[in-house]
Amino acid sequence: MSAPYDLCVVGGGIHGCTVALFAARGGMRVALVERGSLCREASGVNAGTLTMQMTRVALIPYAMRAHAMWASASDWLGHDVGVVVCDGLSLAFTEQEAALLTERAGKRREAGAPIELVDGTAARRVEPGLGPGVMLAGHCRVDGYANAYLTGLAYRRALLAAGVDILEQTPASGVRRLSAGFEVVMAATTLGCRRIVLAGGVWIEPMLAWLDIALPIKVLVNQLAVTERLRPVMRTVIGIASGLLSLKQYAHGTTVIGGGWQARGDRERGGAELMPDRLIGNIRLACHAIPALRDARLARAWAGLEAETADALPAVGPVPGIADAYVCGSVHSGYTSGPYLARLLAERILGRQPELPLFPIDRLLKPAESTA
Amino acid sequence: MNEPRKHDLIVIGAGPAGAHAAMAAAGCGLDVLLLDEQPAAGGQIWRRPSSSRVDNQPVRTQPDLAHGDALRIALAASSVTCAFGHRVWSVSDRYRVDTLGPDGAAAFGARQLVVAAGAHERIIPFGGWTLPGVMGLAAATILLKAEARLPGQKVVVAGRGPLLAAVAAGVIAKGGEVVAIVDRTPQREWLASVPALASQPGQLKQGAAWMLAIALRRVPILFGHRIQEALGTDSVSRVVAEPIGGGARRLLDCDALVVGDGLVPGGDIARLLRIAMRHDRRRGGWVPVVSDLFESDRAGLYCVGDGAGVRGAAMATISGEIAGLAVVARLGRAFDAQRMSGLKQRWRKGQRFSDAVAEVMAPRPADVADLRHDTVICRCEDVRLGEIDGALAAGAVDINQLKHFTRCGMGPCQGRMCGAIIEELLAARLEKTREAVGQWTGRPPLRPVSLGDLVGEFSYGDIPVPEPAPL
Amino acid sequence: MTGSSEPFSEHGNWVKGMVGVTVSVTVDGEAMRLGAHGSVAGALLEAGIRRLRASPRDGAPRGAFCFMGACQECAIFIDGRLVQACLVAPREGMSIALAGVP
Repeated sequence: MSAPYDLCVVGGGIHGCTVALFAARGGMRVALVERGSLCREASGVNAGTLTMQMTRVALIPYAMRAHAMWASASDWLGHDVGVVVCDGLSLAFTEQEAALLTERAGKRREAGAPIELVDGTAARRVEPGLGPGVMLAGHCRVDGYANAYLTGLAYRRALLAAGVDILEQTPASGVRRLSAGFEVVMAATTLGCRRIVLAGGVWIEPMLAWLDIALPIKVLVNQLAVTERLRPVMRTVIGIASGLLSLKQYAHGTTVIGGGWQARGDRERGGAELMPDRLIGNIRLACHAIPALRDARLARAWAGLEAETADALPAVGPVPGIADAYVCGSVHSGYTSGPYLARLLAERILGRQPELPLFPIDRLLKPAESTA
Repeated sequence: MNEPRKHDLIVIGAGPAGAHAAMAAAGCGLDVLLLDEQPAAGGQIWRRPSSSRVDNQPVRTQPDLAHGDALRIALAASSVTCAFGHRVWSVSDRYRVDTLGPDGAAAFGARQLVVAAGAHERIIPFGGWTLPGVMGLAAATILLKAEARLPGQKVVVAGRGPLLAAVAAGVIAKGGEVVAIVDRTPQREWLASVPALASQPGQLKQGAAWMLAIALRRVPILFGHRIQEALGTDSVSRVVAEPIGGGARRLLDCDALVVGDGLVPGGDIARLLRIAMRHDRRRGGWVPVVSDLFESDRAGLYCVGDGAGVRGAAMATISGEIAGLAVVARLGRAFDAQRMSGLKQRWRKGQRFSDAVAEVMAPRPADVADLRHDTVICRCEDVRLGEIDGALAAGAVDINQLKHFTRCGMGPCQGRMCGAIIEELLAARLEKTREAVGQWTGRPPLRPVSLGDLVGEFSYGDIPVPEPAPL
Repeated sequence: MTGSSEPFSEHGNWVKGMVGVTVSVTVDGEAMRLGAHGSVAGALLEAGIRRLRASPRDGAPRGAFCFMGACQECAIFIDGRLVQACLVAPREGMSIALAGVP
């Protein structure tokens, strides 16, 4: 076995990749272990929305910095993930939704998000493609989106350039604590490291179990759909106040529809089976918001797994009671805020003070597990 | 949401296999629903010619038309509930089938499911194959038989397999000119397969009739040749043929190029339902792993016909009948055991002929060995071989990662036209088995469906929405 | 060559009465007649219209390819909806638009 790495990151999604990238640029010798290919789970199959309007209030300060980070992806990532910054609208079609929107947009605005409430007419000036019946809308001028399936290739190139040792198609089966550091166990070999980051998305729960930490992670099985190319019919990122629709049209004409409608699946099988009625329900919301979408044909639907902690806030920070072990994931709207939070963690690991607080998991553990 | 009421059996696909499965089961008293996207039964091979006449016409002289008519007559006389014009876009649960039909979105339920979705054509790419006027062999067969139309006036027929002769003879009979037949198969390989082909005298006789028609017109047959390039501005006007392995090229002026290199089993539903599959070159590619009753590893799901492995129409009907009766047995109803054993015997006996034909048509690694880097591989997304090689150099290790890197397979055809070729390319380039390369992950919709048709007329309040996310 | 051994008969009874019947349609606003039998894709081919659309990146000419609903090359606007031309029959008054197919 070669000299131990300064850092080993287990899990090659957007969180793991970003921690690895900034740690390597900070001078560490880093290994990234991924059981499949980089960014092929949630990070490669999500809707790509970069929005303030579905972000938890507590995460707004992070989301704003994360948004700026995405907008300048060419600086730190160096490779194209198709980031577009554009207006975003969160729509309310009923009294109930309007009340929900007023409350939520208000709170997010208080937290610093540049969101204004506008009426249907003003909304239609921002987005001429809107259907009728918009009572109220939250308007954010700096929303946007990226192209999730480009993420893997972009990070791969950046990580290689930064000198990270990438071990893809390499499942880790366990982590052993050593006197100083850790040993990551894989099928054919082991790997020694001084520090470890567990960044496994929904698999953070079984990963933490390797260290005898019991952190329940709920597995959301989110349905998504994409259409064939369509003439331009919208120019904003659209949502509904309930959070049950995300909608955007890419430059090449395809439209991605999301909203967290649940399919059947789990950690073992992945997003295994979509539910047709729910798919139709989700698409109805999309067609209600942008009626011209009816002219498009559905090309593909799929489901991805998203992690959620008990309080739906991130699991980012040191593992209590285990020196030099960290966890990074379950960010909720992880694609938007993930890279920024992961970078904060990298700062911490490099011995610097992160500019915003992390989200240590102590709060989520029963007292017995949080002591060494 | 109300789940649809359950039939005993739904059969997807009303070609030879599916129609026979449906009739076998319905004949034993089962409540059977048969679904097909086409307006009538027959699949591709026995497609009903478009006509304003009703279906119960007298049996005709041409074998495929005769078989098709007989099938449609028998089906109409059976108790099978036929739902034509239904495009199946999702199969889920155990078993729910969602379609787009003549009246919009529909959903059906069944206790057992027979999948008989057929095969589609494989065409090995070459320069200019995307030009208008270039079409598949099966495509030309459909034009000739079902539409009484020529693919063109001066037609080059190319590829491999017995369909070459059939299409060439069809063009001649319709009054067109066959400029040349460009057959990948060397002549000695054809001659070697004659003894096995002779085990089905009816088929052999038909083949001889085609060859006679071709010989009488002095159509040049270029054995062991392939199409190097199709040329033209808005449509094909000339074709370059070359011997496989190098040699003098032939320039052929034409206004249509009909080309096909075998059939690929339509495994969309199998992939969607994640049933066990294996790669079988002789059967055309990936096929479901099934028992001798054609049941997959998912209980109550049967796969029959060319969709479960290319063997031709005769074998398709046998597999369909066997599965139909197997469903009857599974649901605890009476069926004729002797009939079942007779079918199994016919299946065993029919293997020799279907294997011989399949051997000629089977895909080979050499097919993709020297494609040019500027050849379009994914038609839908205009992805050329050079870009695929670039993606492999950038680290793509399997077909689904390749999709993320290049957009191959993300277009309207859902990877149908390029999938088999890309699998072959990756296996060769990466020096991996077909299993390691993988197949496109199966996802709905099984075919593109219009959003407008899918959502229909609705009011906002009707949309059942789950609980919103926490604030 | 005549008789029952002929593989395909030009004068088979199944096309009697259909071949030769045409319907009046518009293609990109221009009035024309198409053979009433078979598919729109086949009828357009017969009428000399082979190019149906342009490919998304290269803008290369494309036309019907598989004639069995698999390749999607023949998806054009028929009466305002994007439909595969190989799967529908020509109808009197049909409006076909090739321009603007994505």
